[in-house]
Amino acid sequence: MSFVSNLIYATVRMAVPLMFIALGELYSERAGMVNIGLEGIAAMGSLIGFIVAFTTGSTWIGILCGALAGMAVNMIYAFATVTLCADHTVYGMSINIFAPALASFIYRIYFGTGSDLSQIELMKTVNIPVLKNIPFFGKLLFDQTPMVYIAFLLVIVTSIFFNKTRFGLNYKSVGEHPHAAATLGINVVKMKYLSCMICGALAGIGGAYLTTCYSNTYTEGNVAGRGFIALAAVIFGRWSGVGVLVSCLFFGFCDALQIRLQVASIGIPYQYFQMIPYIATIIALSIIGAKKLGPKAAGKAYRREQR
Amino acid sequence: MSELLRMEHVSKRFGDFYANKDVNLSIEKGEVHTLLGENGAGKSTLMNVLIGLYQPTEGKIFLNGKEVRIETPSQAVDYGIGMVHQHFMLVEAMTVFENMILGDRKNKGLFIDKEARRKEILELADKYDFNIELDKYITELSVGEQQRVEILKALYRGADLLILDEPSAALTDIEVEGLFAMMRQLTAEGKSIIFISHKMREVLHISDRISILRAGELIATVKNENIDGQDLANMMIGHELSEAKYEKVVSDQEEVISLDHCSFQKQSKHNSINGVSLSVHRGEIVGIAGVDGNGQTQLAQLITGVIRPEEGHINIHGHEVKMYDPGHFIDMGVAHIPEDRNLQGLIGDMSIAENMVLKATHSPRFSFLNGWKLKHGSIRKNAKEMTEKYDVRCRSINQDVRSLSGGNQQKIILAREFESNPEIIVAAHPTRGLDIGATRFVRDSMVEARDKGTGILLISADFDEIIEMSDRILVIFEGQIMGEYSGQNPPIEEISLAMTGK
Amino acid sequence: MSNILKNFKNVIVSILSILLAFVIGAIIMAALGASPITALQYLMIGAFGSAQNIGTTLAKATPLIFTALCACFAYKCGVFNLGGEGQFIIGSIASCYVALRLGVTGFFGMFLCLLAGALAGGIWGMIPGILKITRGQNEMIISIMLNYVATLFMGVVYTNYLRDGSVPQTVAVPEEVQIPRMFPKMRFTWAFLIAVLLGFIIYYFLYHTSSGFKLRAVGINMTASRFNGVPVTRYILMSFIISGAIAGLGGSAELLGTQYRLINGFASGYGFDGVAMALIGMLNPIATVIVAIFFAALRSGATTMQAATGVPTSVSDIIQALVIVFSVAGMALTKLPEFEAFLGRFKRKKGEE
Repeated sequence: MSFVSNLIYATVRMAVPLMFIALGELYSERAGMVNIGLEGIAAMGSLIGFIVAFTTGSTWIGILCGALAGMAVNMIYAFATVTLCADHTVYGMSINIFAPALASFIYRIYFGTGSDLSQIELMKTVNIPVLKNIPFFGKLLFDQTPMVYIAFLLVIVTSIFFNKTRFGLNYKSVGEHPHAAATLGINVVKMKYLSCMICGALAGIGGAYLTTCYSNTYTEGNVAGRGFIALAAVIFGRWSGVGVLVSCLFFGFCDALQIRLQVASIGIPYQYFQMIPYIATIIALSIIGAKKLGPKAAGKAYRREQR
Repeated sequence: MSELLRMEHVSKRFGDFYANKDVNLSIEKGEVHTLLGENGAGKSTLMNVLIGLYQPTEGKIFLNGKEVRIETPSQAVDYGIGMVHQHFMLVEAMTVFENMILGDRKNKGLFIDKEARRKEILELADKYDFNIELDKYITELSVGEQQRVEILKALYRGADLLILDEPSAALTDIEVEGLFAMMRQLTAEGKSIIFISHKMREVLHISDRISILRAGELIATVKNENIDGQDLANMMIGHELSEAKYEKVVSDQEEVISLDHCSFQKQSKHNSINGVSLSVHRGEIVGIAGVDGNGQTQLAQLITGVIRPEEGHINIHGHEVKMYDPGHFIDMGVAHIPEDRNLQGLIGDMSIAENMVLKATHSPRFSFLNGWKLKHGSIRKNAKEMTEKYDVRCRSINQDVRSLSGGNQQKIILAREFESNPEIIVAAHPTRGLDIGATRFVRDSMVEARDKGTGILLISADFDEIIEMSDRILVIFEGQIMGEYSGQNPPIEEISLAMTGK
Repeated sequence: MSNILKNFKNVIVSILSILLAFVIGAIIMAALGASPITALQYLMIGAFGSAQNIGTTLAKATPLIFTALCACFAYKCGVFNLGGEGQFIIGSIASCYVALRLGVTGFFGMFLCLLAGALAGGIWGMIPGILKITRGQNEMIISIMLNYVATLFMGVVYTNYLRDGSVPQTVAVPEEVQIPRMFPKMRFTWAFLIAVLLGFIIYYFLYHTSSGFKLRAVGINMTASRFNGVPVTRYILMSFIISGAIAGLGGSAELLGTQYRLINGFASGYGFDGVAMALIGMLNPIATVIVAIFFAALRSGATTMQAATGVPTSVSDIIQALVIVFSVAGMALTKLPEFEAFLGRFKRKKGEE
């Protein structure tokens, strides 16, 4: 494959974990829950996904359990922020500290402190008949792991959910004006918990993708800021499913580019290339500026009997 | 007429505080029943119990003679109870159509059945002679239109009992007439309306029966024909209150501040200022009359330096202002009673003492060495004096202002602003949300400051307040000054017409 | 009076959170087959058992105090600076350059190194500040991205520019500019004293000066502060710069006092740890210092515990993480109206008895 096709192939692969995490955040913020604990949730999903895949030999079960683990961690966040009305940012930060500590503890207990890395077999790619025969793009887009297809499917489902369905409309109203939603008989608290479950599961899958489809082993800090880049992707994607897709592809591209450049250029310290995704995030956010288009009640505590 | 709803011995407690205590209320079919009471008397709480947002601590509710428990808002909808809240419960980022069908359970299935729903809604709108555009976003509607959407929303959900919480607060006189006509049409159909208001004129105009709430308790329910306004007012506040009468003056003193053809976002009709020139002199109260949203907020923020005029300029004491910054304006003697005291006036999680010195911590009175050592003793002493002078009811001066009532919070702002010996005070809706006692206090303080030679710009959506207080009245409409009137025997008809742009 | 009551409530919540975290920690230890009491004993011995151990604890506490104060200061002004780690690292890099390349010596040289660290940290902290006030950007995301950039840049420095021969680490800073120990037998240096003093200075600034007062006002309600004449954007930028400078000073002190060279893993995790400690310390600078020392004790004790009982050090990380999870939730709980009502009822009942 050429440099360009390599780049596109890698872009898609790098964008997918971001897509899962960012879509999770989208579901969260649409219900008014600004969750900055994604990094921690993904770390947990990543580890559990790895351990289960390692033990059962099935990457699918690994990903499923990664989703469940993410959900479980995020329930702590949900309880603290929805029921106890803790500050979303502060509690998200607590999750970012708690979940990785828990993950590394579990890893040490499970694998001991030995230095040899345990490895698993990555999820296999599955090509889609007919579509894969499209010249050039066919090979790049339709010869990937099933998780890639699921991620793209999820974008479509998300767009339909928020724009066409009754439930999606009700869901959005919770993030915009929870008190109005409540007067119309929508159970705001339940909806917020639901949003946290979805967010936890998706961020968990995003983390599990890293150990089951991307790299075949778990290392501490393997989420590497993707939780925060996903937050930026939601802002950059203007809180819409398609917007998230586009911005994740952009950040995925930056990631793919830096790997290609590392390989291609000699003499320049590779760390400079590794900075690309992070600097791109800063620049992207700075370009879109301060316009706040997100859900109106995002980040605010909701109390039913508020006086 | 037969009874639709009865509330028996309903109480609602928040912590140690009874918002409603042993309330008995009965609503008949086809009547307009007014709930009258001061702010904080418990009207909204009682209604929130009725629509299932709050659970009553004690008491029973009967609907058509049968006892019901309303545990969630959706149950209230099922029982045919609909409420139009004072602060509209509309999602601004959605269209009228989307707001209408939010939470609707008539529609089954996963997707929105657009055609059928639209037809239903338009038929209903036709029946009540509403002109609504379903695809407009809420932000594009006027306040009156938004209210109609709210009412239609309740009717669409099959409300037989409609609760209107202060529906006339933000409407022009003409819009209020339209509202009343609709209320009559609804009651003629046999629907009942609970009308919440404290505007005596309107209450006497539209109600069949009136229930008076005071401090959470229901004092009496009376028929409209048997009562007059003064009696109602006395029942409402619990004692006789002589009507305040403020002397009007014509100031011949020097000008303090003037706006010279100022504009701010003038392309827009709402919340804009378009070529406004005005001046305030020492020792006078200039009242700005107008319906909310016609640029009053922007006017107040221009004169206090919060926003910068895009065209024109401001003069203070005859000198053109060069720096538009609130700090600079404060140094020039501009005091501000902002319209939203919690958001703009006070630091909720700071103590009374700290809020009292918010603007003055650098002054030698409250700190040594240019602010490098605060004089905590002086700050405390000041707070003690001020809470006494301004009659702030609190447990201690270290109490967070967040925990105080609206009236006491406003008194802290008054103390801070009035005691800074300002040249001019910009007071935006200074009595909004206050009870009669606190309102009287605020108004007395303003007149007192005027008599000491301070210029006051009073911005208020309460027409009666403008008429009662102002020495000079300016009318604002869509960001423009429509006319100037003397405060002595003001031409009320003419002013209210000017407020609608005529 | 009500202030004392509020503080009292906070202290109770913190203590309960710590106890609860230890209970869970003990359960984990028991599940791992160790005796929790023995393990905790070794934890204590490891942290405070001898003058030497206390020295190690305080040495470990020093950088944590700096990053915790960095988070605390910014958050007091209402901005969430999660970039403590990056500012810490940039500070240490600047310091390293000055120490190795400018050939400064003596006390003055050390002072210059520290100054360079604080300055560089301040500049690094200024970036999210400027982006926030001019572009309205989310300072959390920006400051975290800058952490990664700083860490990678440190990598460039120790693998290329200041590399020590073939080893991927920098050359050690010369002895003349190293911060000396306070007591020869104990590992901690004068930097610890600087850190603690800084805590008191920040406390004084926040609660006893007019600017500190305004900074707190901005932190609670920006709109009202602006309406009342506080130059809000200036305060926000200032808080970013000072907060960054605190972290930068910390990085510099860590380099000159403890590590002497930049190496892979330098400062790893200090930023978030600082945020956690500031939150557990309820953003009170003095309480934050105490919490940082407590965390450091858990860390230095954990090594001894692992050696003696086989309970892995990560149990102590879990305990630390649980403390923050519990204390933040507990704090929120005490602010709920239902909780106050419950307390009220409880008090009344007691009164009736």
